[in-house]
Amino acid sequence: MGGPRMTRLVAVALRCYPARWRRRHGDEAAELAALLIRDGAAPCSIAMSYLAGAAREWLVPRPGRRLSTVTCVLLVAACSVGASAGLLASAVPARAASTGNPGGHAHCLPGSSAHAPGLAGQGTGFAGQGTGGATPATGRSQVIVWAAGHGQPC
Amino acid sequence: MSIRNDGAGQDVLRRVGEASVLILISLAGGPKHGYALIQDIKELAGVELGPGTLYGALDRLERLDLIESLPADDRRHPYRITAPGAEALRVHLDSLERVSAAGRLRLRLSGI
Repeated sequence: MGGPRMTRLVAVALRCYPARWRRRHGDEAAELAALLIRDGAAPCSIAMSYLAGAAREWLVPRPGRRLSTVTCVLLVAACSVGASAGLLASAVPARAASTGNPGGHAHCLPGSSAHAPGLAGQGTGFAGQGTGGATPATGRSQVIVWAAGHGQPC
Repeated sequence: MSIRNDGAGQDVLRRVGEASVLILISLAGGPKHGYALIQDIKELAGVELGPGTLYGALDRLERLDLIESLPADDRRHPYRITAPGAEALRVHLDSLERVSAAGRLRLRLSGI
């Protein structure tokens, strides 16, 4: 189940090591991973172990490695984390806009009397009150209506 | 990089981590390659070393001259403990023994 894919994952993890390390340990490390997988070890945990080892290899300063190399690696890592966070942040409003389609699914919206089982059962009367939501209490109930409405076939 | 392990018995293994100590203990029984080390340590201490941890510790121990790599057998590099490595392990185990004895004594005296 996913064997070749997981083996590829181990190979990718090994490629994360510096070239010097791969020249010295690469073949043996791949063979060791194969033996451990054969013994029943989870390929995912082996890959994670190699990934952590690769990170240590890059980040721990060696006597022969200039500090600038380590700084560059840290900067690149920080930039990628920042870029990913930025992408995620920009994707959230877009997704929210695409799901809130009031024209197409009006009966799923807060205030619609068609599908509001949670509120109708509680006898709060919010189901027929429209979407005003001026008071904090009304706002809270609307969130519940949203959740209930999306569970229904629209 | 060589280590200073003067006659005073400085414990150079205090800061190398458990994996390195376990590897040295395993190699004290004879030269081994990576897979044999993992198996032996699992049997000896019940600890499953990850391969990434293993190679990191092997590199560190080699840089400290506590172990040495033997000529490759096929693709596998066997490692052997060096004389300074054996001495460092002895000092570390003595230190652990002293701490262990002190801990046991305190537990006995406090009656916990």
